[in-house]
Amino acid sequence: MLAICIQLFIAGFSSFLVVGLTSLYDPQSVDGSNIEVAVSGDVEQELLEASTEVQGVSVQRIATRDDALELFDNGDVDAVISTSSIPAGGASKVQVEAAVPAEDLRTTLIVVTIRELLTELERLERVDRVDYLEQAPVEVPQDVGSSSYFGFTYTILLPLLLFLPAFISGSIVVDSLTEEIEQGTLELLRVSPVSLVDIVDGKAVGMIAIAPIQAGVWMLLLRFNGTSIQNMWLILLFVTAITTLTVVVGTTLGVVTGQRRQAQLLYSLLAVLLFGSTLVLPEHPASTVALLAVDSATIVTLGHVVAFTALAIGLYLLVRQYVSHLDAESL
Amino acid sequence: MRPRKLLRIARWEVTKNAGGVDRQTVVIALVALALFTLVVPFVMSGETGLDEGLYRVSVDEDSQFSAVVESESAFAVRDGDVKAVESGDVELYIEPGLITFANTTKGVAAYEQLQSSVDRYNNRELRQEVNQTAAFPVSVVLDYREQGGLGESLRIADSEDEESESSAETGDDSDGGETERSGESGATDGTDGDSSGESDGSPTLDSDGSGSNGGGIGGFGASFNEESVSGSPSDIDPPFPFQSLVLAFLVVIPLNFLIQAYGSTILSERTNRRGELLLVSPVSRFDIIGGKTLPYFLGGMVLESVIVAGLFLAIHGRPGGFISILAVTPLVLLFLSATFLGAMFARSFKELTFVTVTITVTLTSYAFVPAIFTDVGAVALISPLTLLVRELQTETIAISEFVFSTTPPLLCSGVFFGLGAGLYREEDMFDQRSLRGRVLDALVGPIPATGGTGWITGRLDSILPVNITPLRRYIAVGGLTVGLIPFVFVVQLLAIALLFALGEISIILILIVVAVVEELAKSLHIYAGYTHGLFASGRRTALFLGVASGVGFFIAEKVALLAQLVGLPELAVADAGLQGGIIPGPAGLTALLFLFAPLLLHVVTAAISAVGARRGKREYTLAVGLAMLVHLGYNLTVVSTLV
Repeated sequence: MLAICIQLFIAGFSSFLVVGLTSLYDPQSVDGSNIEVAVSGDVEQELLEASTEVQGVSVQRIATRDDALELFDNGDVDAVISTSSIPAGGASKVQVEAAVPAEDLRTTLIVVTIRELLTELERLERVDRVDYLEQAPVEVPQDVGSSSYFGFTYTILLPLLLFLPAFISGSIVVDSLTEEIEQGTLELLRVSPVSLVDIVDGKAVGMIAIAPIQAGVWMLLLRFNGTSIQNMWLILLFVTAITTLTVVVGTTLGVVTGQRRQAQLLYSLLAVLLFGSTLVLPEHPASTVALLAVDSATIVTLGHVVAFTALAIGLYLLVRQYVSHLDAESL
Repeated sequence: MRPRKLLRIARWEVTKNAGGVDRQTVVIALVALALFTLVVPFVMSGETGLDEGLYRVSVDEDSQFSAVVESESAFAVRDGDVKAVESGDVELYIEPGLITFANTTKGVAAYEQLQSSVDRYNNRELRQEVNQTAAFPVSVVLDYREQGGLGESLRIADSEDEESESSAETGDDSDGGETERSGESGATDGTDGDSSGESDGSPTLDSDGSGSNGGGIGGFGASFNEESVSGSPSDIDPPFPFQSLVLAFLVVIPLNFLIQAYGSTILSERTNRRGELLLVSPVSRFDIIGGKTLPYFLGGMVLESVIVAGLFLAIHGRPGGFISILAVTPLVLLFLSATFLGAMFARSFKELTFVTVTITVTLTSYAFVPAIFTDVGAVALISPLTLLVRELQTETIAISEFVFSTTPPLLCSGVFFGLGAGLYREEDMFDQRSLRGRVLDALVGPIPATGGTGWITGRLDSILPVNITPLRRYIAVGGLTVGLIPFVFVVQLLAIALLFALGEISIILILIVVAVVEELAKSLHIYAGYTHGLFASGRRTALFLGVASGVGFFIAEKVALLAQLVGLPELAVADAGLQGGIIPGPAGLTALLFLFAPLLLHVVTAAISAVGARRGKREYTLAVGLAMLVHLGYNLTVVSTLV
């Protein structure tokens, strides 16, 4: 029960964190308001042209920079851009000074918008100078719409939500095994007609089962939220395999060390390490999940699922074997 | 507390440590750590390629985009034509002059990815150009300026400081004037006007400054080294806190390992009555607690110092970070103390895991969420990590900022240790009470039973003309309220950090949090005292207890006004949260409002709760609820007249 409590707690927190992160990741999605920019200087014509290409920004022409800054100080405009053409190496270069509010929650949004505006300006300027370039830059395709969360949702959010339960399951197995050993309650279980393998099995299977259930709930919630997730069953299988692996690690450490502190310490280190070392694989498990979910799976992806499943089953059987040879008295 | 005994216990903790970590484990752990450090650079460089092959694209060889598509790992090149798009086998079909994308979110996302990869591709190619002026015709200097005329009325104490601190930074602020940055403004990025044309590669990781992918740690080193943002427009990094994020994880994550070990060692004293041996030996419990904590504290500090020094070495190429290490100290203490208290509450390791996870999550967000806003505002200073970030950015840190940022966690850890120590007694340690019961036990610890002379009152009696021994319990209750203040503050600060971004509604939400937390802090120990039968059940006693608690709270709150004097006056929300409403008005009125109204409020609400606590659980709950409502009503009135 407590296990579920912990998981829910973490899940709640992580989703909270994720919402925070996404809003920071793409500040424009939070605030759809218009950014007022005051423009001064000699390249303003081009800047005005650029501003028509960028959404959510309106540009005012102001005669001098000082006037513009005054407006800025009064809070009438959100940013000031002053431009000047300066000679540089035989040609001219546009020098832009942009002032944005120092401490304001909208700063990020403003800076992003300014960047967009200036990038557009840069593009226009490049077009003018294309003759001096050896290779013309590739044209940027027209805007069609926005779905900026897409990559984030599938490559970070989804794997995070799916793998956290797996990690915690292993940790709880460590706890429940070492606790029985340390407190001596294993004795009590042993006098009942169950073998050590049964006990370990019981604890492991319970924890292996709980992670895919949570993963499934998350995926259903995401679906409900309009994020389509393909190959749910394959993903569940994959999560189960990963959970089995963490539980195997947890069980082994629990039985071998018999002490919570060491087992937990090693477990967290090993789990992090194993997860890190999956970078060596042709495909990171997180990408496997992402590719499955967006239905871009290749043969490599499926291979990963199969390999992880096989590995999980194999290792679990191995641990079972090991436990069955253990003398329960020695624990 | 005797240092020699304390040190001996510390030595035992390191060497023997009641079933400590054996050599084998240490070796495995070290190997794992070593391997881990090998992996970290991979992760940091952001080349994890999590989105590898996410979008399937079919591209015509002749199209100008074919090179772009091939250079981008997120695209998997497939065969197919328009039909393949329709049947959902590929997301994009690119032929010369025409791009077809699937009419799904994935198709649009793939299209967007194409746009951003074209940008990246162009920038990469253009850097190879001979004529850099034509390649990067626009050079930008981004200047973070303070905007005048905003919330002028809400600033109270900072006008003098501003003048004295603003000259800290060099640079050619040609038109500084009133908009010059003040030392406490949180305007982190400098404004030195030297435009370097394009970003000259930073010595550490990844210098292309794009960092727009999911992993996006890109530009990590760059944003520390180049104070001002200058270069091509695409080099502008919005003040997005990835660096704070990475830092928070670097600094906070080791602490989580630490508290796991620490929590285990404390709890293992309590299981199987193991700790009894130490308890019956002739050392005080403070020696035991101190001795058990010392190795972990030192270990944690060494670890953090190494991390901080490493960071400074990696980013600035020279050792440094003294202030940062000092700033991290309260965090380490806070983690340890919270774990200590948690381990005193938990009954089993499973409960301990729950407690540890709660601590991890809460404290990580405490350290981390405000640090996200490092570039945004004074809110950032709530977290000591901000000091670290700022020192890394070679900014000056005012003493007052340091104090503001580190004092609450420091005091809070003191409270936690104190409450935990109250439970470190034979009758509490080995008893299987529920978490709730233990919380009440912990709170009752410092309240003396009737009769007898205590340590403090005993001394005071000899100094003061009046005999105050009969008042001991009231003093203790008031004192305990005072002791709980840091905790109240940390919770309120956290609430501010979490909620302030929500806009208008955040003030009300924060006021609710304030009312709830303050009323609980004033009354919970009184209730605990009643459940333990410490107080006589008369109404007079209850009223006196309430008054004592209210007065204690009032005094502490006024002392704690340092928070308002330093960091947060610029934030209306913070005003609402921390001051309980103070109006800058005519002197007499201000004094009256400053002193009398809050005092009255605290006394009245505490008395309401105390009277309820006298009767039992249900009555207490009702009374506290009522007190919270009164408190909230008062705060709302004050804030609405103020704003």
